Amino acid sequence: MHDSDLISGYVDKLARELEFDRSLSVCVRQEVDDHLWEAVAADPRDGPLEAQRRAIVNFGDPHVIATQFAVVSLAKHSRRAGVTAILGIAGVFIAMKMRVAWYAATQWAICDDMKEMSGIVLSIDRYAFWLAFIAGLAGWAYISSCRTPAVFHPVYRRQVRRFFLLCTAAAAALFMSVLSDGVLTAIQLFETDLSVRFLVPILSMAIEIACAGALAWHVRNVTRRVASTAALLRT
Amino acid sequence: MLKGHLDMIVLAALSAGSAHGYAIIEEIRRRSRGAFDLPEGTIYPALHRLEQAGLLASRWVTAESGRRRRVYALTRRGNRALAERRAVWEQFSGAIGDMLGGARPCTTPT
Repeated sequence: MHDSDLISGYVDKLARELEFDRSLSVCVRQEVDDHLWEAVAADPRDGPLEAQRRAIVNFGDPHVIATQFAVVSLAKHSRRAGVTAILGIAGVFIAMKMRVAWYAATQWAICDDMKEMSGIVLSIDRYAFWLAFIAGLAGWAYISSCRTPAVFHPVYRRQVRRFFLLCTAAAAALFMSVLSDGVLTAIQLFETDLSVRFLVPILSMAIEIACAGALAWHVRNVTRRVASTAALLRT
Repeated sequence: MLKGHLDMIVLAALSAGSAHGYAIIEEIRRRSRGAFDLPEGTIYPALHRLEQAGLLASRWVTAESGRRRRVYALTRRGNRALAERRAVWEQFSGAIGDMLGGARPCTTPT
């Protein structure tokens, strides 16, 4: 058997167990590889193969280590989703303000027969945006205050579930707000000849859709990580 | 029991200066005179968790062997957290010491 077979086999197994987080898997693989080879170098008793065996036994079961890393990864991605919620909501707000400022600067008024409808949509937009802001801020503050545990215990599971609900509420409200903005933009562009000044409303809508999409993607990512962590614990 | 204090042990091991995972384990063994012989793999999730909490910072270096090595160091926040945990531990161990080594309960009526 080749000298490096045992250690590379072990780090491969650990990396496979950590597949749920690709960047973490790559990083841990390098760290563990260095650790095991250093342990082998420090243990010259009965030849390198025996030293490798001992180093691997002392390191522990890759599955157990992966379950501990799964909690760390879940916490990292939950926090990231919390930050994305804040940035996404801020992005939508800036895009919204940018569009309104553009309308004012270009004296681009809405046509009279659409004013009533746009008033209704505007109120939906406002409520949806404030709901997204409050839920997003609460979610971010909540997950930032939670300490990452060493194991995925029921208390932490409940904390992640609460955070997930807040983030889902924020994402749903943000989508509603973006949808309302889309309707308002369409009303604004209605009966206006296509020109260069369309660029700002269209670009700002694209920014809003990207922000809401990023938040939805992160929320989905948290759900996937909760599922993979729970699956690791079951096996 | 050791598991509940792993974070404090890791922070304490790093109080002497920055180190990589293997050296941290060696330092824990040395300082505890072999009493804390953890499964070595458990230290890495703890290191990543502490880094995420802002108590540690890490950087990659190239070791003499040519391998890439991740070196951890206490941050200012980590130093403060260690001082707080040390104070709590000293208070707790002092109280337990008093309980165990204090006056024996009276067995005969006076």
